[in-house]
Amino acid sequence: MADHPPDPRRSFLKLLTGGFAAVIGAMAAIPGLRFLAHPLVKETVTGGEEPLRVAAKDEVEVGRPKRVNVVGQTHDGWLRSDGVKLGACWLVKSASSSEVRAYSTVCPHLGCGIDWNAATQKFDCPCHGSVFDLEGRCVEGPSPRGMDELEVVTAGEDIKVRYRRFRVSIPNKEPIG
Amino acid sequence: MSQPSSSHGRGPHGHETHAHDPQGHQAPPPGSGRVLAWLESRVGYSELVKLLLEEPVPGGARWWYVFGSVLTFILTLQLLTGILLASFYSPSSTTAWASVAFIQDQMTMGWFVRGLHSMGASAMVVMTCLHLAQVLLFGAYKAPREMNWIIGVLMMGLVLAFSLTGYLLPWDQKGYWATQVATSIIGTTPVLGTALKKLLQGGSLYGNYTLTHFYTLHTYVLPGSILGLLGLHLYLFRRHGVTPLWTQSREQLVKKTQPFWPDQLFRDILACAAVFLVVVFLVIRSHGADLESPADPASSYLARPEWYFLPLFQLLKYFEGPLEVIGTMVLPGLAGALLIGLPFIDRSPTRDPARRWPFILGGVVGFSAVVMLGLLATSHDRRDPIVIKQRLEALEKADMARKLALQGVPAEGGVAVFHNDPFFRAREIWEERCVACHSLTGTGGDKGPDLANYNSRAWISGFLADPNGRLYMGPARFDKGMKPVEGTPEEIQALTEFVYGQSGAPDTDGAMAKKGEELFHAKDCDACHDIDGTTPNAGPNLKGRGSLLYVVNVITDASQPTLFNTKNKMPKFGGRLSPQEIETMAKFVLSQKK
Repeated sequence: MADHPPDPRRSFLKLLTGGFAAVIGAMAAIPGLRFLAHPLVKETVTGGEEPLRVAAKDEVEVGRPKRVNVVGQTHDGWLRSDGVKLGACWLVKSASSSEVRAYSTVCPHLGCGIDWNAATQKFDCPCHGSVFDLEGRCVEGPSPRGMDELEVVTAGEDIKVRYRRFRVSIPNKEPIG
Repeated sequence: MSQPSSSHGRGPHGHETHAHDPQGHQAPPPGSGRVLAWLESRVGYSELVKLLLEEPVPGGARWWYVFGSVLTFILTLQLLTGILLASFYSPSSTTAWASVAFIQDQMTMGWFVRGLHSMGASAMVVMTCLHLAQVLLFGAYKAPREMNWIIGVLMMGLVLAFSLTGYLLPWDQKGYWATQVATSIIGTTPVLGTALKKLLQGGSLYGNYTLTHFYTLHTYVLPGSILGLLGLHLYLFRRHGVTPLWTQSREQLVKKTQPFWPDQLFRDILACAAVFLVVVFLVIRSHGADLESPADPASSYLARPEWYFLPLFQLLKYFEGPLEVIGTMVLPGLAGALLIGLPFIDRSPTRDPARRWPFILGGVVGFSAVVMLGLLATSHDRRDPIVIKQRLEALEKADMARKLALQGVPAEGGVAVFHNDPFFRAREIWEERCVACHSLTGTGGDKGPDLANYNSRAWISGFLADPNGRLYMGPARFDKGMKPVEGTPEEIQALTEFVYGQSGAPDTDGAMAKKGEELFHAKDCDACHDIDGTTPNAGPNLKGRGSLLYVVNVITDASQPTLFNTKNKMPKFGGRLSPQEIETMAKFVLSQKK
């Protein structure tokens, strides 16, 4: 059969067949791929967009950073959960400024949790030895940038924080999501 | 492996080729041609292509032969849409409904993909019937194709099993209750029933393991089985060739032989495209597949299976009690056995339908009986007011659940989505306890006031103008009710503001309310109503009227001396409803104010 002389009718049929197959394929594939790409166009896990209360103003003392959890509502796909720990941050009140600042506990190097070292009065990352001062600046170690500062909103006696996560291992502070 | 130079294969024209032979008599083709030549030498794909496409079709291509290809196409579509859905679905009793609702209502093209999958299942059943009818008509089940017929019948069983298992996965009311019927039937199997049912459900009751089991069947076991059988089906089909029209002689068949590609494949693709377009049209028209409210084991739901199981459902109605097994097992089992045994019952060599008319007639009668049963089930439901009412309520509830799911479903899952609506419980209580006397429609209650827009200025001024009207105390038929308040529109407005202000509403116009208070005394309203909160009188004490506490008191016991006292006709709900429920109801009533 393969050795038939070229038949214009058959060539046309082949073209039509291929064309129809391509149209059906595209009609199914385009919506299918858009469906699959949903996580590329819309965040599937969200939470912490609104400022969340983390402490009362008078709980933070000058020169003594306080670690607080950021607890709020998350949407994870279809699921809505209340009272979820979104993350944690260090609240810092320095002598030079009466304002409270908040730094994410996530190390900008590779994402470990940063601790406060009362003896050295510095923040230490236990994983790879990055050290940060009270202003969150990296003073030692491999971290490509200082600690990530979070937006603080004071409402009356409450300290509220807008919790975000940032891409690690890059010199710029780039929010995720 | 260690001798790359020995790897050679057969080229498209049958002679040997050597991909890496620089001295080859053919110049290496450029670019992609070279890659193809290399691939050809390693895997010999052209032989596969030839095997797949260049099959001769004796007697020529025909529209009659398209059904198998269309079924393969829909099966592929089902596998692909199934993979897409599985990427976002979560099979557990707390997450199944919520994840499907998310796919349906919140994901990009989710409704379309899910619609294709669901409508594709229906198309699969329709095309299976058409394929079966064609095979029956052409006598393609006869020797030597008996095994292929049997495999086909088994595949038809798998198609129905796919539908049955898939129906449950959304864990909505419809799937939950319809599948209960199916598993209950399995439970009636003699001897093994209880064990079979438990195994399938993953326990005595429906739960997480029911979903994981059905999901495993639907996404691993059944697809694996149907693909295996399809492979065998196609292998046997190619081995014995297409079954041509019975009218064609051997010579005609040879003379009119055409290649599968493109002659037959063109017809196949066109048929696939037509079926696909119909499916897409139906999906767009219905905006995807149904999704009812989450499975609620406490509800009473009229279960109806998917349309292609309606004949079985109808059959069940004719066999009650000990005879039930005839409808559930005996008749369907007999039908299956007859189908499988057909090639061994009709053993004559002729394929001419006219000479096999008893079998063709049997097929037509059997198929008509199935269709009739289905139609009977549908027409009965269309005429049954209980079914119609239940359908409407189910749709309303589904709509509500899906709207609430847009806020995210709580971790308790499923019916907990209703907790997103603070008044969901209140509405239930309202339906159970309040609706016999009160109304929220603005058309009047049966025995008490209509509470639509309750405690708004409009409601109060309407009340003052006509306390015994249909919307107010009229339906309660008090012996000595309140008389209409007479006065200029400005006076009524001031009095309204005064009464409105009793609730402590922050938007009260103080000056106007003050004026109203003066009129309250001037018009002798205080003859029947006190405003100190403690003194009983002929009418309710108006202190705090319209506040949460006031409404709570009315619901708890409206016959308190400071309320309606001896005139009261409303039942006491203190003790019948919990304090929390009473508070919810009070908030619900107050929320009616627009």
